[in-house]
Amino acid sequence: MIEMLSYDFMQRAFLAGIIIAVLASISGTFVVLKRYSMMGETLAHSSLVGVAVGLVAGYSPFWMAVAVAVLCAWLIEYLRSHFSLYSDSVLAILLSGSLAIAVIIVSLGGAFNNSLFTYLFGSILSVSSEDILVISIFGIISLIILLVFSKELYFIAYDEEVAKTSGIKVKLLNFLFVTVIAIIIALSIRVVGSLLIGALMVIPTVCALQYKFGFFKTALLSVLFAIVSVISGMTFSYYFSLPSGATIVLSILFIFVISLMVNKQ
Amino acid sequence: MSIEQKTPIFEVNNLNLTLKGQDILTDISLKIFSSEYIAIIGPNGGGKTTLVKMLLGLDKPTSGEIKIFGKKLKNFKEWYKIGYVPQRVSLVDTSFPASVEDVVKMGRISQQKLFSFKSSEEDKHIIKEVMQTMDVYDLKHKMVGTLSGGQRQRVMIARALASKPEILILDEPNTGVDVVSQQKFYKLLAKLNREKKITIVFITHDIGVIADDIKRLFTINQKAVICNDPKKILSCDEISKIYGVKSHLLHNHQHEH
Repeated sequence: MIEMLSYDFMQRAFLAGIIIAVLASISGTFVVLKRYSMMGETLAHSSLVGVAVGLVAGYSPFWMAVAVAVLCAWLIEYLRSHFSLYSDSVLAILLSGSLAIAVIIVSLGGAFNNSLFTYLFGSILSVSSEDILVISIFGIISLIILLVFSKELYFIAYDEEVAKTSGIKVKLLNFLFVTVIAIIIALSIRVVGSLLIGALMVIPTVCALQYKFGFFKTALLSVLFAIVSVISGMTFSYYFSLPSGATIVLSILFIFVISLMVNKQ
Repeated sequence: MSIEQKTPIFEVNNLNLTLKGQDILTDISLKIFSSEYIAIIGPNGGGKTTLVKMLLGLDKPTSGEIKIFGKKLKNFKEWYKIGYVPQRVSLVDTSFPASVEDVVKMGRISQQKLFSFKSSEEDKHIIKEVMQTMDVYDLKHKMVGTLSGGQRQRVMIARALASKPEILILDEPNTGVDVVSQQKFYKLLAKLNREKKITIVFITHDIGVIADDIKRLFTINQKAVICNDPKKILSCDEISKIYGVKSHLLHNHQHEH
């Protein structure tokens, strides 16, 4: 462990991984409770369209990913609130559709190389100090927003209709929430990959829910599970030369199985 | 001052709702005054829940006007004055991480400031008081998902009461609740109306639940008929007609005596 941490790139990888574990699991608690799990996956894939445009047109793939993910989040929320169109199938169409568009854009632009794979599977070991700074700044802003409106978001997740009739600005808060989620996802895909961020967002909360605690303890437990799985996943990745995203997800799945068994009635 | 001279809590004038060419509600006009105990009855699919959702601003009418406490609905901001207990009390996600106290606290959120992460002393007092009123204080640390239908229903009403409302609107509150709990529940509603002067609007498809405490009755089946004396429900021919099942009315009337 100490040998592993003597490398600068590993220190940065651990730091980035832990920051993203905290961001993904806290936002993921609301995502799961609002039954938006599928939305996380969809936004992760739609942000790839931004990456593709960025790679081909020569703009920053990261900022383009943020822009496209936010626009897609607004579109989904608009469809959901105005047309009751929020079936899994609509999200599945957007998810696979955006992945297809991203691949075509990159292929047509002649830029189908390692760059897109970096965003598909993440490249936690090539995280720069600048990446960590950007993730930290936006991560802190996102967490503050979630914290300030946590009571309202919790109420909306429990009963959106009653929250609305009690005077809470549900529509505005839902748009703010999906914006924050889109930003966190776009921040994370460079590091853990668009195929895996959904798992880091959803599974720790699902594990924590098995213990049947109240909201605060559930959120704390999901953060703990996410951090443990990132640290153990990266350690396995280092010692067995395996891709870190995959070992992280397998670590969370291991915690999920244990949680299920411990809480089996 | 007679009841008619006061500003009504709800005033509905010529409300219409048409969806895909079909008339759902036609020319509904009604007034609900402070301290009243009203039942809105009607067959399933008759438009009761739709009417309530329009009163609460959740659905928009095709035409007509709704005033709340004398203000037009779009200008009304004091939503904490209205407590709403929706139809699907028994359908709440049982795995949701919320204790009884967490749920009741939700009723205070719209009146709290941003950045206030701890409940104020006033909030704590109100939350305790409404939990005691609804007889759920001893359950405050229990997860809502583990409660029975009757207990969960009382928690939802405690949450609605936590905002200190002047009116309580309950949509089919007895779904999934056993008969003993129902009887207890009617007594509680009557007490809230009598002692705390909270206006009660009770929506049900089951005319058998109409208690002696109810002062006025609205029957909704696309159109509305108002009966000012539920005791004379049998002589309200229009109600029998609109409800469509006269024998059912007779049966329950006999039950009441």
